Order: sequence, then structure tokens, then C-alpha cells
Amino acid sequence: MNLRRRLGIEWLIIGLFASLLVFFANRWEGTSSFDNLFYDQLSGLSRPAADPGILLVNIDDRSLAKIGKWPWPRSVHAGMVERLQKAAPRSITLDIILSETGDTNGDAALAAAMKGAAPVIMPLHFISPGSDGKAYDIIPPAPIFARAANRIGHVNLELDSDGVVRHTQLCFDPESDRKSWPHMMEQVYRADRNVPSRAYGSVPCGRSLLIPYAARGSHQEVSYSDVLDGGVPEEMIRGRDIIIGASATGLGDAYPVPFGDGGILAGSEIMANMLRAIKGNSFIKYTPQWASAVLSLLPMWLLLIGFLWWTPRTALIASLSLLGLVLAGVAVALHFGLWFPPGAAVLGLLLVYPLWGWRRLQAMSDFMGSELMELEREGEIVPVPVRQADAADLVGRQSAALASAIDHMRDLRRFVSDAMADLPDPMVVTDLKARVTMTNILVEKRLGRGIIGLIFDDVMASVVIPEQRDMVLNYIQSHDAKKARQLLAEAEGPVPITSEFVRFQTRDGSTFVMRESLVQNASGTHLGYIYYLADITALATAEAERERLLQLLSHDMRAPQSAIIASLEGALDEAAKKRIERNARLTMQLAQDFVEIARMGETEFAGEDVILPDLIRDVADNYWPMAKERSIRITVADHSDSGFVLAEPEGLSRAFANLIDNAIKFSPDNSAIQISIDRIIRDDRPYLAAVITDTGDGIAPEILPHLFQRFASGGEQRGRSKGTGLGLTYVLAVTERHGGIVKGGNNESVGAFFTIELPEALEES
Amino acid sequence: MRIAIADDERDVIEFLKTIIEELGHLPVAFSDGNALATGLSRDTFDLVIVDWMMPGKDGLEILKWMETALEEKPPVIMMTNRTAKADIMDALNAGAADYITKPEDRGVIAARINAMLRRGSQGSGAFETQAVYGKYHLDRIEQTVTVNGDTIALTAKEFELADLFFRNSDRTLSRNYIMETIWRTTASLATRTLDMHISRVRSKLDLKPENGFRIFTVFGYGYRLESLGK
Repeated sequence: MNLRRRLGIEWLIIGLFASLLVFFANRWEGTSSFDNLFYDQLSGLSRPAADPGILLVNIDDRSLAKIGKWPWPRSVHAGMVERLQKAAPRSITLDIILSETGDTNGDAALAAAMKGAAPVIMPLHFISPGSDGKAYDIIPPAPIFARAANRIGHVNLELDSDGVVRHTQLCFDPESDRKSWPHMMEQVYRADRNVPSRAYGSVPCGRSLLIPYAARGSHQEVSYSDVLDGGVPEEMIRGRDIIIGASATGLGDAYPVPFGDGGILAGSEIMANMLRAIKGNSFIKYTPQWASAVLSLLPMWLLLIGFLWWTPRTALIASLSLLGLVLAGVAVALHFGLWFPPGAAVLGLLLVYPLWGWRRLQAMSDFMGSELMELEREGEIVPVPVRQADAADLVGRQSAALASAIDHMRDLRRFVSDAMADLPDPMVVTDLKARVTMTNILVEKRLGRGIIGLIFDDVMASVVIPEQRDMVLNYIQSHDAKKARQLLAEAEGPVPITSEFVRFQTRDGSTFVMRESLVQNASGTHLGYIYYLADITALATAEAERERLLQLLSHDMRAPQSAIIASLEGALDEAAKKRIERNARLTMQLAQDFVEIARMGETEFAGEDVILPDLIRDVADNYWPMAKERSIRITVADHSDSGFVLAEPEGLSRAFANLIDNAIKFSPDNSAIQISIDRIIRDDRPYLAAVITDTGDGIAPEILPHLFQRFASGGEQRGRSKGTGLGLTYVLAVTERHGGIVKGGNNESVGAFFTIELPEALEES
Repeated sequence: MRIAIADDERDVIEFLKTIIEELGHLPVAFSDGNALATGLSRDTFDLVIVDWMMPGKDGLEILKWMETALEEKPPVIMMTNRTAKADIMDALNAGAADYITKPEDRGVIAARINAMLRRGSQGSGAFETQAVYGKYHLDRIEQTVTVNGDTIALTAKEFELADLFFRNSDRTLSRNYIMETIWRTTASLATRTLDMHISRVRSKLDLKPENGFRIFTVFGYGYRLESLGK
């Protein structure tokens, strides 16, 4: 499978999985431990100041010691309320359960005291589960007190799963559809103001609010017995909300509270904190469910989306940053009275990073594995050795295998470029816009410059001879994109080189055939073109040679024969006989030359030590009769003291014979042909140079440049070389076979000269 | 003398016949190899001139046949269109006394025939202290050569070589023959020594057609001093 697609799917699965997890963690408070701890620590950082308008009257151990063991007679409480009423407090909260009637006098006294100036508020207890299968039992104060009390409120404490009292319901609505019960502290507020507090109305009934706790013991408190004894000045009581509650160790009205240092707080002090919060409307609200869910999921998705672009390193930094941001945001929100439990969001953030890292690694690992397998399956196409992977774990092995594969690719690339460089013919690769992207060394060698990056058309335009430029450009530019696509679609594997080709000549005289092929990548996309150039100069030359040969057979050989036949028609006088002989000899010479040239092409050079001046003398002696007839003197001047050359005597003799024959033919009667043999030095090596000089008409200027050219183009040989057949061609072939050089030209004054220079064969020591 | 000639071309037969008759000898013609063999086994000839390419037995086969079938073998001149060095060596090594490449000049053929016939009677020639070959006067006592009154200085070996060539003019002498005759050895002699000596003799005596003689090199075999008549 495509790695990109697989990663996309993995990403989505991780997103959905983590979202579900976060959502339910948020919904079911799966992270409450963390949230509570975090909340406790955070709220410990800044605690509100205590409310000076509240005075706690504690039924403490000292009071128990003084007054006697609990429960106290109602008369004691009556005395207490009376005493307080005298000091004119704002309210008196009697946080004591008085659900059953006691001694009649005491009850009456207390009820009477409760009806004083300051309102007295009493608690209402719920016991859940209730008796007889009911959800709860309501335990109100005894009717006498219920009637005497200004208001009655519930005092249910809500404990978190860890048993800590963090929040409360100002409005208790145990069965939702029944009547609601305001909290006792709300009733204190109402007793004074006669309206529900703003805090009460800030959330629907039954919804909890978090209690902001002031520091432990920061609310002023006095001992019950002290108040009773009159040890507390009335000023301390006047105008304050008095909360009477049990704080003695044995009475058990104390609960764990969310303080960083743990520990418990007396119920009355919890009440004090609640009252303070009600008065100041400073409760901390919970984030609504939907907002909480969104806020929990949001940072995680931000991170997930970021994963698609970021590097693993950036992703790590980003996830940690987001974590910090979330926690900081929670702290800020808490400061402004809003609590969002960050646990689920933190869980999400902490979850997706490793999860994504794991899945991504897995996907990469699988991908690498399958790609490497694929590579292996395709097999070795070049003899480049693959290194064996050797590492501890799977990823390590795969990395090693990948490194090896990359090395292999490098080797392969090297191999390809080497192979390209070693191709016997020039090759050019271009992109779709004809820009040259790759060549081999041969191209640069032939052109004498690099052409990478140039437009191929321009390169060719400057190389091809002008007459053929348009034809070549036409070939290059006749790309048909549609046809290329079709070809690529049809071809399984590489596209065959097109059968169409263009043949052209370069300005330096070479002949090339160029073919075009398409470049495609592994998935078959058309990327550019390859041009193969085959140097067929030798072939073209051979063609021309064959043409010349046919010419030779059809014309040069026939011509003398025709002349013989023509001569036979007339009178067979001496002149005719001479003509016939000359023509017959000419034909024979041609046949001989032809055979010799053909033979030379087939056999290895097998030289023997030959004295060059003697060989030339032998040849010159052969021509003496012919020269004598026309009173031409041939002189051989040896200045080399019988120098040796390594020679094939027959061939070399024939070469000199051709030159001497030629010289005699073009020399006027009564002239001299001079042959001199000299020692010369060429390229630091001793050579023998034989120069044949005549005093004839010389060589026609238009022939000079291609005097020795093999089967020079232009049909019949003209002027001086006419009738010599293969003569000079033969001379060139023989000289080259002997490792020598042949030159020809006109003398300054008159006549022509031919020079054959051959390496001297020094005596082996 | 009786000279057998064998060739399948009439023109060549006629050409040779006239030359031989002009030299004062008797030509007997055969038109193929088998006829020649029959003739040779029944008759005695002083010289055989045989064409290489013939119907029946070709030139080389004739040479081989003569080796086994004849007790007294006349010298054979091989005539051939083949000019390749290897072919000529084949012929000479198979026992041919000389060869002539076609087409050859009438005078050359006559000289070669004469040289062959002379060879048969060489041993009877008396030793002469003085000899004249065209322009060249040889004094075998003084070991000098005089041309037009000028005495040419030669080393002992050079004189012997010149003398050998003049005495055997128009005969192809193999390198081995020359070395055995002049140096009495073939083994220890550097191959170039012979060539150098001949080259010197050629230069010093100015042996060239203008002077009536030419030295002809048979590459891979030997040399021949050709006399070009008067």
C-alpha cells in the first residue's frame, strides 16, 4: 500500500481512538485523581481571605470538658442562644441535629430563645438510601424547633471519590422532579436579605459549585464554653453570622478538604467558607459538559493536525507546549472562577504523541520492509554486490538494509554513468523541453565542450552541415506528445528505439545516424528523450569506396580494353602495337593494384630487413627500358649508406613502381627523374626519406588536396592522375602499412615530387 | 639443344618457339602436363620450360613427378602469372632452377635460357686470370675491376661476390649458395652482411641498365645479375 495513504489511515484511527478515550475520560471523570490533585495544588496557590463577618462557635474538647459529655441537655443550647441573642448577631446557625424532642422544658427554652431578634437557622438531614426502599429519608428538626427556626436548610456534603469535600449543591434536588432544598448557608443569606443569593441562581438546581476555601483556621472561632461563660465580649458577636458547630475530636463532624497538606476541616468551618462564597458570589463554577468535552479534544486535534506537517522533533516540542498551555489556561480560568478538569486533555496530548510515533514508525518500517522486498524481488540487474544487514532490532536491520540499498543505488548510478560513458557512440538525454540533462564523455570529446543545460536543437544546429540542418531539426522537433503517451502505454517496459532515424553529416566531415527513444520513470511517466548517435563515418567511407570500386571496374578497367579493341580496328602498325601494349599493361596494373590492396586489408604486416636504396634501384632498373625510349634518365642517389627498412618488398616495390611509372608518364622527353634517399629524424626517430622528383607539368591544384584520398569523390580522376587507376591510393595504403608517411606536391620551379618516409630498421644489437 | 616447352596457350608456345629457334636450339612443345610427363619419360631434354597453370599436371606437380620418376633431371624454368613472393619461393624450393614471370621481355627470356644452358656446361670452363663482361674487366690475380680504364677498389669479399655474379649472370643465385661460396658458411653470418656486400658491389660497380647489367633481387630467395645485352 501507498505509504502516504497508510499513514493517513493510521492518523485517522489514532485521532478517533484518542478522541473516544478522551471523551469518555472527560465524561466519566476517568482522570479525577489527576484533576483533583491538580485542583488542590492550584487552589492552594491563592486562597481567599476569611470573611470577618463570620464567627464560629466551636463545641470543642474544652467545652465538652467543661459542660459534660455530648449530647448536652437542650437547656445548655437554650442558654447559648439566649446569650447570643443578647449580643445581637446577624444570624445564628445552629448546626446541630435536633431531630427528636428531648426534655420538654429544655426544648421549650431553646425554642423560645430561637425566636429572638436574630434569625436562627437549622439543618435538615437527608439519609440516603432511605428506609423502605425510598431513595432517601428526610430528617427535619423536631417540630418544635422547626417552627421556632427562622429557616431550615440542608447540610448535605458532597464527597468526591477520594472522600474530599470540594463542592456543594446550594440547591439540593435529590429526585429532580420534587421540590428543591436550599442549603442551610443559602438560608442564612436569605434570612438576612430575604432573596436568593446570586450564587444560588448562577447554576440550575442540583448542579454543584466548587467551594473556594480560605486558609484553615482563618475564620475567627471561639469556644462554646467561653461564649456560655461570658468570656467572649458582645462586640465580637454583634452583627456577625454565628455558626455553632461541633469541632471536638470525638464528635466526628469533620471532613477532608482540598488542601494541599490534606487533613480534615470541621463541618462548621466548611459552612463558613460556603457562606463567605455565597455572600461574595465567589464560587468556582464547573465548565459545562459540552465545553469540557470540546476543550479536552481541542488541543489533541491541534497536535494531530500538526503531526501532518511537523518533524517528530517539532511535534514533541509542540505537544509539550500545548500541555503547558492547557495547564496554564486551566490555572488562569480557575483564578477567574471557572474550573475545567484538564486531565482528559492532558491524557489526549500525552497519548497521541507516542501513539503517532509508534504507528508512524510501524508504517515506515512496514513500508521499508516491503520496498526492500520489492527491490530484492526485482533482482540484481547489475553485478554490484549488496552488503548484508547486521543490526540488533528490526528497525535497525531495516535501516541497515536501507543504507545498503541506498549504497546499492549509488553503485548502480555509478555503474549506469560508467556504462554510459563507455558506450561506443555518443548519447544525449534531454527533458521534455529539449534541454540536455545527460550526455556521455564521447559527446564532449566530439564536440570539444560540455552541453549539459543547453537546448539540444541549438547544439545540433551548430554541429550539422547547413544543408542538412533543417532536416535534423525537423526530426528532433517532430515530437508528438500524444504519440509518446500511446507508445508508453503500449510498451511493457522500456520503449523500443524508434525505427525512424535521421542521417546527417557534421561540419567536421563525420557521418552520423541519430535515433530517438523515450525516457520514462518506473511508473511510465514520460520524462524526456534519449538520442543515440551512431558514427557511421567509416561505413559511409566504405560505401563511397565501394562506389568507387564499381566505377573502377565499370570504367577504369573497361577504358583501356575499349582502346585496345579500337586499335585493332585500324592498321596494326608499330604505333598501334605500342598503344595496345600500353593499354594492356595498364589493365594489368589495375588488376594487380586491386588485388594487392584487397590482400593488404586481409593480412598482417610481415616485414623483413630490406635495403631501401637497393629496393628502389631494382624498381628503377625495371623502368629503364621505358625511360630509355623517351631518353629520360633515372638517377638514384643514396645518402643513407644502404639504410635498412622493415618492409614487405613486393608491396613497397610496387608502391615505388607506381610513383616512378607516374613520374615517367608525366616527364617530358630528355628529362631526368631524380630519386634521393636521405636519413631524417621524425618524432625523435630515424627515418629514411625517398624523394622522387620529376620535371613534368606538376599536379593540378584542384587535385592536390585529395591526391591520396582513397577513391576521392568527384567521379573520374582528372588531369595528371588520370589513368593511374589505383596508383596513388595503393601507394598511400602501402606506406601506411609500413608505418610511413607519403607526401606529394609541386616543386618550386617545375615538376612534382613525391616523398615516402619510412622508419629506419636499425640493426638489432 | 633440345628444349621442352609446355603451356596450354598457343600464343605463348609460338612466342617461346621463336625465341628458342633464334637462339639456335630445338623446341619441343607440349600442351598439357600429362603430355609433358610422357615426353620427358621417353625423351632426353637439356632444359624444360613449364607453365605453372596447366591442364593435367601443373608446374609444381611436374617438378615433384620429375623428382621421383627421372634419373637424370634437366633444369626447369617455371613460367608463371603469379608474382607473389611466396609463389616464386615455392617454385624455386620445389626444384625449379629459375622462374620467369609472364609477360616477360623477349631478350630477358633468351638471356635466362642461355644462362640455364650454360650452367649445364659450367664445370668444363677453364680458369682464366682475366675476364671481360661488357664494360667490366676482372683481374682475378689482382682482384680488381676496371671500368672504362678506371680501377675500382674492392675488398676481397666484394671482388669474389662480383666475380660470382658475373660468372653466373642471368642465373638466380640463392642466398645460401652465395654465402657458402663466398664465406664458406651459412650459420654465423649476420643476415644483413650479405645484403650490405651486394649493395656495396652494386654501388661501386654502378651496376645498372645503362652499364649493361642490373642486379635483380628475388626477395626471400636470392639475387640475379642480369646482363642486358650489348
